[in-house]
Amino acid sequence: MSISIKIALGELNEHKAIYAVIIVVIALTMTSFLLENAYLNYMMQVVNETSKMITCDAVIANSDCNVRDLYGTETTMENAGRIARMIERNLPRYKAAIRVTAQGSYGLGAEKEAVDGCTLQGIDIEKDPEAQALKNKIVAGRFFQKDDPILKGHTPMYIEIKGPGNLPDLVYGSGQRLFVKEEPYPVIVGATAAKIHPSIIGVGKVLDIYISTSARGTNYAGIRVKIIGLYESGTPTVDAMIWFIPADSLREVKGYGTITGKEWVIPGIGAFRGFKPIDVDENIGDVVVVDVPEPAYNLDPIGHSRQVKEKIESVVPGMNVFTWHDLIVYASGSMQDVVTLLLWGSMGVTLLLCGAAIKYVMDSIILRKTREIGSLKAFGARDRVIFKIFLYQGLFIGLLAGILGIIVSFIVMHLVNWYGIKMQFIAGTQLNIGFIINWFTALTVLILPMVLSILAASIPAKKAAMLPPVEALRKGELSL
Amino acid sequence: MNKRDFPIIELENVTKIYKEYDIQVVALKDVSLKIFPKEFVSIVGPSGCGKTTLLHCMGLLDRPTSGKIYIEKKDTSQLSGKEVALFRGRRLGFVFQNYNLIPRLTVLENVILPGLIAGKRQDELEKKALKLLEEVDIKHRSYHRGVHLSGGEQQRVAIARALINDPAIILADEPTGALDSDSSKEIMDLLRETNKSKGVAIIFVSHDPSIARYGRRKITLKDGTIAADTHTDGG
Repeated sequence: MSISIKIALGELNEHKAIYAVIIVVIALTMTSFLLENAYLNYMMQVVNETSKMITCDAVIANSDCNVRDLYGTETTMENAGRIARMIERNLPRYKAAIRVTAQGSYGLGAEKEAVDGCTLQGIDIEKDPEAQALKNKIVAGRFFQKDDPILKGHTPMYIEIKGPGNLPDLVYGSGQRLFVKEEPYPVIVGATAAKIHPSIIGVGKVLDIYISTSARGTNYAGIRVKIIGLYESGTPTVDAMIWFIPADSLREVKGYGTITGKEWVIPGIGAFRGFKPIDVDENIGDVVVVDVPEPAYNLDPIGHSRQVKEKIESVVPGMNVFTWHDLIVYASGSMQDVVTLLLWGSMGVTLLLCGAAIKYVMDSIILRKTREIGSLKAFGARDRVIFKIFLYQGLFIGLLAGILGIIVSFIVMHLVNWYGIKMQFIAGTQLNIGFIINWFTALTVLILPMVLSILAASIPAKKAAMLPPVEALRKGELSL
Repeated sequence: MNKRDFPIIELENVTKIYKEYDIQVVALKDVSLKIFPKEFVSIVGPSGCGKTTLLHCMGLLDRPTSGKIYIEKKDTSQLSGKEVALFRGRRLGFVFQNYNLIPRLTVLENVILPGLIAGKRQDELEKKALKLLEEVDIKHRSYHRGVHLSGGEQQRVAIARALINDPAIILADEPTGALDSDSSKEIMDLLRETNKSKGVAIIFVSHDPSIARYGRRKITLKDGTIAADTHTDGG
């Protein structure tokens, strides 16, 4: 062990009370930073995994669509298939698939009123980049099959209305009479929806729903669906709202294809029309979802959201491209970005104050120990040795603070996980509080206090090192 | 001392001027002198005559404004800061008026400190330090903290510390300045014994004539110049 380290350790021991306070303050700052970051990471991962099922890494929509439209009211993309092929041809390792989406509402037959809403995602069960992930999340029932006999060939019932709040007096459940001879469409529903409405949502249950068929949700279709599976993504709120249906089924419901059958009016019910059958055009969709090889998120400093967006835009100029990050910012009102900035900002301010404290404590120690420094110089200590004595003190303070911060964080995380704290969430759901530490943050917590305290210590260290020995000895004597 | 020996320290027209604001204080004026190996030299003179400045210059703790200082024939003005520090650590030993023991260290740790700074092995230093502490009759306090010792005991430790790197010269600034007369006598006897037994040159500063008479050579300073340089029987 070098003499500088020995003396530095002795100094730390001698001034342990004041240094302990500084170390604890830095450690708690880093603990708070690490915990909040780990919680944010957890939330981001939950939201990421879930929202990716809906949007993948990026979504391409028509130029007149905004982020809000992506939740079910997009204008139709007649050239969706061509756009998906362009992406895969021009951007290596990028995967693109067409999605058809719509807003739906379902109800209780007995009550004859709508009780809840859902966003229907028409998913390409073979080509969609998230199809396999969704399949893996099935917790009851089954996933769609390619040759499922109930995918197409139904008779949706169309209702033309003039504006919102003007739904015709068609009660839920009446469809039983209309569609009694047909197989229902297969759907997969989030497990939370089944928990909230156990009497109507569950594997094998059949219900009638209204689905918006036109952009901005002004026209509707009534269809009968059968729940063939339940999925669990990890985010109960999303699982309460997102239903999946094969894309071709939803194309049929929304009339994306050539109508070859006859239009018919249902007597006694109202001016409703039905088409059967429809030759579905698989090139038509509402959005194109894109799966990218790069990490597309950018809440974390290593994300590439902007670059991914620019790459896709360069292939399909004129189209609107939204990344997962755009959706998160939209959904959370940029709260996550602000929280991240605030976290770094508050940590930075506290660390700066701690750095100033380290500097002033060391300054006062040097003032008191000038004669000791002079003596060391008289005994042959070079300027570098004196400099290192104080630098090592800074290093040890930072190292101890970083390690303590990580240890306390781990203890808190384990306690929270062990206790299983849950948070009340919207739609009557509960969300587990969890933590995910990434290496970048952990390394930051370990290295940042060291860098800070070394920098803070370097100023008094240099001052001490540059003290002329004779002056140090003389000043020390005066200070006695 | 043999006049044919090379001087261990040689000062050649050394002048030291301190500047504070616009005021210049001439601490040493054109001082030339030679110190030979094994000499036991006292530097005396009234307060403010430049005794301590002279000692600091000889100990390479301060650089003269003009003139040259040769130690063991080396022109110290040519040495870099690093070389000066190394030279000071390996060839010079210091004893201060207020002992300058590091309070949080034990007696043994204080003694080995200059050796550790010089990069020597701790186990070897500890063996040697215990021997030195035995020689200065303070071994029984080796593991006590320095601050718990009396003034005389602390100065014994300081002498052992000054000897740890086998210096050629020990420079003592008022070594008895903070001690009572009995302790002062013990310390001066110890320094004289060290000079004799180890053959190390000792230069000490004192304003007290009864202490100064221990030196076998007495350099008297007045207003920054050497007023007298005499040899005595070392009292």
